Amino acid sequence: MFRTILRRELQETLSSSTLLFAVVVLTILVLLSAYIQARYYRRVVEDYSLRQNIHQVENSGRAIVLIRPLPPLLPFFNGAYDSLPDEFRLQSDSVITNPLSGDLTPLDWLFPKVDLSFIIGVLMTLLTILLAHDTIVVDREQGTLKLILSGPVQRRTVLAAKLTGVILLMTIILVYVVLLYTAVVKVFSGGTVDLSVANLSALAVSSLAALLVFVVIAALGVAISISVRSPLVSLSLCATIWMVTVLIWPSLGPHIASSFKTVSTWEAAQRDISLKERELIQAELAEQKKTAADLKAQNVGVESAWRQYLELRRRWMERRNVEIGRLVEERKRQIRDQQFFARRILAFSPYVAFKETLGSLCGTGLESHDEFLAAVERYGQQEFLPASFDLLSRQKPWLNGAKPDDRVQLRPLQTPPPALSERLAAAAWPLSVLIAEIIILLMVGIIGFERYDVR
Amino acid sequence: MTDDPNNLSKSLSARQSATAQGAPRTWLIAKKEIMANIRNFKMPVALVAMTLLLLLSTRLLALDYRHRLDNWSVNQASQRDPVIGSNVKYDLSDGDFFHRAGIGRNPPIQRPQPFSALIKGMDGEVDRTVSVSQRIVFGARQDEPATSALFDTPDTSFVIKLLVSLFALMFSLDTMTREKEVGTLRAMLAQPIRRRDLILYKSLGASISLLAPFAIAYAGEIIYLRLAHGLLSSREDLIRAALIFGLGALYGVVFVHIGIFISAITTRTKTAVTTALLTWAAIVLVLPNATVLMAKLLTPAPSYNQLNARLYEARQRILQEGDEANPATRPAPEQPVSGRTLLRLFEVERQLTDNYLASKKDQNSLAKLFAALSPAGALTFGLSDLAGTGVGAHTSYLELFRSGRDTLLDALKRRLDLPPQTGDKLVQEAREMIATGQRRAEPLGVSLRSSVIPIASLFAWAAIFGLAAHWRFKRYDVR
Repeated sequence: MFRTILRRELQETLSSSTLLFAVVVLTILVLLSAYIQARYYRRVVEDYSLRQNIHQVENSGRAIVLIRPLPPLLPFFNGAYDSLPDEFRLQSDSVITNPLSGDLTPLDWLFPKVDLSFIIGVLMTLLTILLAHDTIVVDREQGTLKLILSGPVQRRTVLAAKLTGVILLMTIILVYVVLLYTAVVKVFSGGTVDLSVANLSALAVSSLAALLVFVVIAALGVAISISVRSPLVSLSLCATIWMVTVLIWPSLGPHIASSFKTVSTWEAAQRDISLKERELIQAELAEQKKTAADLKAQNVGVESAWRQYLELRRRWMERRNVEIGRLVEERKRQIRDQQFFARRILAFSPYVAFKETLGSLCGTGLESHDEFLAAVERYGQQEFLPASFDLLSRQKPWLNGAKPDDRVQLRPLQTPPPALSERLAAAAWPLSVLIAEIIILLMVGIIGFERYDVR
Repeated sequence: MTDDPNNLSKSLSARQSATAQGAPRTWLIAKKEIMANIRNFKMPVALVAMTLLLLLSTRLLALDYRHRLDNWSVNQASQRDPVIGSNVKYDLSDGDFFHRAGIGRNPPIQRPQPFSALIKGMDGEVDRTVSVSQRIVFGARQDEPATSALFDTPDTSFVIKLLVSLFALMFSLDTMTREKEVGTLRAMLAQPIRRRDLILYKSLGASISLLAPFAIAYAGEIIYLRLAHGLLSSREDLIRAALIFGLGALYGVVFVHIGIFISAITTRTKTAVTTALLTWAAIVLVLPNATVLMAKLLTPAPSYNQLNARLYEARQRILQEGDEANPATRPAPEQPVSGRTLLRLFEVERQLTDNYLASKKDQNSLAKLFAALSPAGALTFGLSDLAGTGVGAHTSYLELFRSGRDTLLDALKRRLDLPPQTGDKLVQEAREMIATGQRRAEPLGVSLRSSVIPIASLFAWAAIFGLAAHWRFKRYDVR
């Protein structure tokens, strides 16, 4: 019986023009956006090696620039990658890590980037709603539900068959979309996209997450289909919920979060840091002046003075590290609080959960960015500053002659891409939200259908 | 859901005897549509939903604007901070060395537009420091934490784009199909009414049902912005706000016509709703994005990183050429290069930067042109143009830096031929002019001119779908 209902369900959907229309639109959009993303990625990769070469020449003991490694799955999911800086400069006389420069991307303010996450998360969820909203209610209206239930079949089986029908179709379309997208990206990226086993498996897991989203939406459609009496009402209700959870709430949520959990403005934070820095620099200059005068009075030799100077300088660097680090940390805490709040209030939207999962899996989310920034700061403290100080201490600036070599030998910044299990662990929260939603909606569906009045 | 059909026929025939031909009778159709929409709660729902969302969106965006304004004013104040820099000389009997320390100040940022509390448009782009000297250096955007970077900005444009279109469809979709299902369409057409008039007044009824709640909600939003945030207080601002409403209303009418057209090509309300939802998604979500993608494809712009790489290459090349030309004058790389070489370098850098900016401008213009192919794309560009936060405003923002840099380059060039003191004074003046240069709000006339294409596009779409609906309805089988 399960199979019969499923077959009938599939046949009905396959013969409708909705599906055909949707598949045509999806195909056009996938071709277009995958092509653009592939070309864009190619350009980004070219940029990357160019930048690396330049920085390698320009890096010195005074300042180095670190570039964020390219996420290999960037053409599939842009995430926050473009809107966040990816180059940071470390300076030997400063403890703050600031981004260098930013591209002008005015069009992105008006239109979101179209990538796989938009196609799956917005368009395909709408298709799921269109397929799932009338599963039960249409049969009731036409009277076929009575007929089906008069046979030797459990209500649960009917529900399962109907749900499977929708999910099966969406799975087929998903596989088609992902394969088509991957093929186009592979062909047009000129070999820059690395489809290694690790990346392919991340892509496969992303597709599974997409499937979870479809199950949530399908279960929602079925649950609503059971609780109303007319297909039209069911469609209106489903479309409203889809619109709120997929389009409106994800846009409003972050702004609501920032109005509740305020963060000081960037310039205000800079002003505080700069005030502190000025104060410390003045104090250090005063002490240096005094020391210089003392040493001169004591008639100390230049080598011994240099050693004392270095010691003084190291002490002041440490003090700046501590005092300015405190200010930087305070603002970071505010930002973390705000992001945490935003994630909590956005959590119930399956689209947001999907994007978060993709961000963790593809390394283009906010968290991956924060991790890189933390790695840069660690690198500055543990690698660059000691090496640059070491370089300074080996110099003998009082000797006239050729300018000392200020090239610093550094161990490169290692940020190996996290293993799939680590990425999955990072995505545990959004994934568990999706699973919880599925369970709740299925329960509502099952209980509702058991008590459903088929007349 | 609909009004009692008998009532309508009765009143129609009553009016027919009372009045001669024309408007009063057909006006009844529009009136009946509006009354039906009020009674079946569609209009109240639209009113509540639009009011809530517009108020919420404008509150969030007004806070966002204030945050950005604070950021800007702190930056403005810090421009007066002194630059500290000093040397301490360790002067000892057998040698000497220096301790150097200093701190500069952040480059200036530009003031955000007050209208970005209503329509943010491209105004978020200005939240960055831009240092202008011989070169223009764009800093990274300062809008962290970037949780919002993943999703659309929820401004009034966003709400109009989604809600007005959807409610327009809701009011217009069942105009034909439902009357046909209930049978009132036949009754109505049995009266001496032309189909053209019928569809005209149905469209009028649906448009009024849509625009009345939209107008109330929008007025509420503007009043809120004025009272609670002190924004949009001048007369020009109000004209702008009215124009924004006009464009939103026109967009709504386009969708009313689309809805009537769908209603005229389908026979069942259920089919009409499904078709409408798919059409809506295609027009609002897919088409604008696809056209902008096409524009990006046709006008590839180099990235800022590529520009920097090219600048670097050019710098190395020119310095090397300068070395080769007069090897005696530059024994070590850290010694200053000659003024002429520097000017040549600046000139090459100027060209490269200008090409980069021009390619961005071309991309924007083409995207705007292509976006006019879809009502939602035209709306997005049109609204931001009218608010002075669109492509035109962004272009003049970039133009400000260009002209600042050109003034400085010109002063540097002239300095070479002038006595040192006069030359330095000239350069100093140019630098001060750049430091205090803030962009002005775009004049209303310019905003209006730049929004001609989107407005024309929306008019065209309204006409096309109106005519298509009329043409289809003439052949509509009312049985």
